Amino acid sequence: MTKGVILFANNNEQVDYIKQAIFCAKQIKEHLNLPVSLVTNSSDHLYKQYSTYVELFDKVISIEKVPSYQRKSFRDGPGPAKKLEWNNFNRADAFNLTPYDETVVMDTDYIVTNDQLLHCFELDNDFMIWKDAIYLNPHGKVWEIRNVSDPTIEMYWATVFYFKKTKKTKVFFNTVKHIKENWGYYRWIYQIGAKNYRNDFSFSIAIHIMNGFERNNYWPASLPGSKYYIFDRDVIIDFENNKFTFLVTVPQDQKKCTATTVKGLNVHVMNKLGLQAVIESKGL
Amino acid sequence: MWLIYNSAMDKRLEEALEYSNYMVTYNNQKRILKNKFLDQNVYYAGGTKFKITKEFITFINLLLQKGQTKSVTVIDDNDNPVQIDDFKKFVDNVMDLYAKNVNDYYTQMQQIKKREIKDVLDA
Repeated sequence: MTKGVILFANNNEQVDYIKQAIFCAKQIKEHLNLPVSLVTNSSDHLYKQYSTYVELFDKVISIEKVPSYQRKSFRDGPGPAKKLEWNNFNRADAFNLTPYDETVVMDTDYIVTNDQLLHCFELDNDFMIWKDAIYLNPHGKVWEIRNVSDPTIEMYWATVFYFKKTKKTKVFFNTVKHIKENWGYYRWIYQIGAKNYRNDFSFSIAIHIMNGFERNNYWPASLPGSKYYIFDRDVIIDFENNKFTFLVTVPQDQKKCTATTVKGLNVHVMNKLGLQAVIESKGL
Repeated sequence: MWLIYNSAMDKRLEEALEYSNYMVTYNNQKRILKNKFLDQNVYYAGGTKFKITKEFITFINLLLQKGQTKSVTVIDDNDNPVQIDDFKKFVDNVMDLYAKNVNDYYTQMQQIKKREIKDVLDA
């Protein structure tokens, strides 16, 4: 059985997801020692700008550049947001695109600093994903996301997931594709206010459908460990020797913040602009 | 007189707020370390996993004391019964992992118990 990680990286006008993917892949190599494949619509950028890093990737899978027609707010801390292109719609294709029998799919802003995810390959589950997550901001309860929408279903985080190629997971990914193609309908049914397509939501809806439209704590199983995250209203100050330093923002008074450090835990750094600045400060 | 009184109040409040900043930082670091401890305190075996709690440790040791050493069935984290062939080894591994993790947790907690915010963030 082949094992590996796949990353998706589609650049927009300001966020260099290829650069993030290189940084992310280095961390994966260091802590998980697994082959990493990159799925991207920006492979030219990889070959031109980062030719010395191409060998980090086991395979580079080029996909067609299709305009997303969606824009999303990107912040670097509590300041004003930038509206940039949001093009992250290929998750449903992970089943067909992966070169591995057992795959961990990861966002490029998920930074690995321990080997906990290797336990995925020891467990007898075909699909694992986190439902619960720990926000590193102790003030941020009002920003936490637990449901797809207030009156409907619990949200699963598509940031990281593991799957084996089985008949059941094939049906699952086909269901996600179906939801993506009929997003307007499912948005309405699940009372989702935001217009943008979001992987977390389509995965959560697909899980809900496959569990007979009921909550189920057994399938899919939770990934090993916990998911830790910061939002883009929080600031990443540094990352050194697998230790993050953050300033997490107080929602009620966004001029105030609390310093937080995290060592040896994997963190989803949703402040992509801040993460990019930190990566650049490391010479990448 | 009013000015002196007011200034004294400000100083006390300032000290309280300084302490409050320390406590917010300390409590958050403690929360993170506790979650890290819980994440590490899981034993993976036979395609499944077991959260290591004090209750679980007591229970498996009780089974061992009662002479159960081979092909012992226990319930995993997904509520499935799992048969453990070498139960003595299973118990030893669980105990070793718990001891390692609890010692790491202790060391990290000692670090954040220091009074300066800088020390709290160094753990």
